[in-house]
Amino acid sequence: MNQARKIIHIDMDAFYASVEQRDEPRYRGKPLVVGGSPSRRGAVAAASYEARQFGIHSAMPSRTAYQKCPHLIFAKPRFEVYRAISEQIRDIFRRYTDLVEPLALDEAYLDVTENKPGIASATLIAREIQQCIQVETQLTASAGVSINKFLAKIASAMNKPNGLFLIAPQQAEPFIEQLAIERFYGVGQVTAAKMHHLGIFTGADLKQWSEAALVEQFGKVGRFYYKIARGQDDRPVQPNRISKSIGAENSYDPDLSDRAAILTALEEVAETLHRRLESKQASGRTLTLKVKYADYQQITRSKTLTAAIDQLEVILSVAEDLLTLTDVDHQPVRLLGLSLSNLEGESLEAPEYVQLSLALELG
Amino acid sequence: MKLTCAQSELNAHLSIVSRVIPSRPSHPVLANVLLVADADRQQVRLTGFDLSLGVQTSFGAQIESEGTLTLPAKLLGDIVSRLPDGEIVLETSSEDTLVSITSVSGKYQVRGMGAEEFPELPTVDDGQVAHLPVDALIEGLRGALFSTSTDETKQVLTGVHISAETDGLEFAATDGHRLAVVQTIDPESEGAEPIDDPKFNVTVPGKALRELERMLMLNATSGAIAVRFDPGQLVFEWANQRLTSRLLEGQYPNYRQLIPRQFSRQLTVDRRSFSGALERIAVIADQRNSIVKLSLDSATQELVLSVDAQDVGNGREAIAAQISGEDLDIAFNVKYLVEGLKALNTQEVQMQFNTSTSPSILTPLGGMKMTYLVMPVQIRS
Repeated sequence: MNQARKIIHIDMDAFYASVEQRDEPRYRGKPLVVGGSPSRRGAVAAASYEARQFGIHSAMPSRTAYQKCPHLIFAKPRFEVYRAISEQIRDIFRRYTDLVEPLALDEAYLDVTENKPGIASATLIAREIQQCIQVETQLTASAGVSINKFLAKIASAMNKPNGLFLIAPQQAEPFIEQLAIERFYGVGQVTAAKMHHLGIFTGADLKQWSEAALVEQFGKVGRFYYKIARGQDDRPVQPNRISKSIGAENSYDPDLSDRAAILTALEEVAETLHRRLESKQASGRTLTLKVKYADYQQITRSKTLTAAIDQLEVILSVAEDLLTLTDVDHQPVRLLGLSLSNLEGESLEAPEYVQLSLALELG
Repeated sequence: MKLTCAQSELNAHLSIVSRVIPSRPSHPVLANVLLVADADRQQVRLTGFDLSLGVQTSFGAQIESEGTLTLPAKLLGDIVSRLPDGEIVLETSSEDTLVSITSVSGKYQVRGMGAEEFPELPTVDDGQVAHLPVDALIEGLRGALFSTSTDETKQVLTGVHISAETDGLEFAATDGHRLAVVQTIDPESEGAEPIDDPKFNVTVPGKALRELERMLMLNATSGAIAVRFDPGQLVFEWANQRLTSRLLEGQYPNYRQLIPRQFSRQLTVDRRSFSGALERIAVIADQRNSIVKLSLDSATQELVLSVDAQDVGNGREAIAAQISGEDLDIAFNVKYLVEGLKALNTQEVQMQFNTSTSPSILTPLGGMKMTYLVMPVQIRS
């Protein structure tokens, strides 16, 4: 029998907004959002705790946020800064374990079952990490500690900001039983509504359902619900899951609905991406196209190639292929993005072996 | 519509068309198979089409009343393949798309879709016609298809280039690292009609040709099959089957100039010994970078194959070979060699080299006319 795992989920508190308040003293203590200005069609990327008191949250259109709080401060995002801090934080994590799975710039799972300092208590590690983050970045983070990713993630949200919450193995089931179903990670609004309709309001209600019945109601994900209702989540912490990528995107006002206009816009995004790749001397094997339709529904389509690409024409030709997998012919588009991942950079070592190529002349 | 047919026939022909039917199509009806019950011919015709590749196949059945409809291909195939041997009755009521499938074991009903939305397979009316001997076609595909590229950004390389020469057909495929060229011999001697038009010069998607190869092998058609083509489409037609494919656009690279005429080193070796050794070496090589090193030793007349996959392990084999020219160490992707040797079907093969960084070629001794060019792997120390 395997020993129980010790998993920590670290989540920075209102990350982008806190960085702006840290770097600009006159923003402190005030409602602030990071994101597009309300006069254009941007959305809120992050909201300070002061702004949240006005009912403002991330992903809300900037215009709505402005209506809720007319003296709201709009700060332009500075992603280079966020990325640099994110690296700083990940360095802190790696003092404890290499099993770090970043979920975004501001959150990550850590598996500290085995850890470098040999500390037995995961709670102690979480507290140390919070302290290091505070001292080294002047920012606060919340931590959740438990036996799997699902529980750790729920735990980190329990005492925000600057909170620490432990769900011990023997507490897992009772904890989940009392938990409202919409607090379950992976249960969105639509699923929550459907569950309410079925009379499922808490973890205890969910636990009444057989696996077969959940699969019948929700499809394959029903199996996941069945397991998490029992506090089970076997997903490992995967250190390489999120690879670095380089991307570019643009939003459009008014929405684009004409195919020619979409292609021109895609070309511009590809050019921006190409410039960024050039400046970083990077190339990559996976190209991802992101499309947000007028109704805010967002999809991504990606393709992994056998060799790394960096040339504009190639990026554009793959991007156009990916575009055919979307519904842009029928739905107006408000945002287009391209990103390249599986990166290979100049800094990487030259391979020892090189498969030579034929001198083909391709028309 | 009402028809009676054998389970084995329906199952066999469904599995032929199902292979081209997309599981996630751009239009829902394309996930279906088109079924036409033809009373005059007493035949059932099945069609699958993904807008690029289309396959049509017919078989005999008792047609009581005609009809046309489409049914979800996967669902139908999964049911029919599990039905017991014997007769199957397919029947629809006139006003409904619900199809009943009755066999001795019981009755199933499957919801179909009207056939109106199913696109017709492309036809080539004003194009040219060529008649290709089936044996030559199979031989050419077998020798070239494995070398096509899977890189969708180099569309034209994902296909096989087929051209008619005065004395036969030439097939070429390359992925940029290796090139396979097969020449098939004069079709007249095979008793087939000569190729009418020497301008037959097309690049056909590998996927379509893989299906064609499979269908031809299954059906064991002899003689010739007709190919109609125009600049955009091609249609193969034979016996009771038809395959249509779009053609790949763009100039196929001028591959002939890539094949060196002269070599400074050469070896002749038993094909099975060579490929057997390579397959064993590949077990270790594939753990790392799939690289095999070949060492030509003219003094001992030995070809030494070796692999060194650092922390995994290493291996070495020596086989007797006739070697001429100076000694040479050269490395290859072991997969390229194994695949090439599989396609060359003679007892002995010849491999020719210049330097460790220039193209090498593998050719069969006697038998088929094939040239397989492989670029080596350069080892930087």
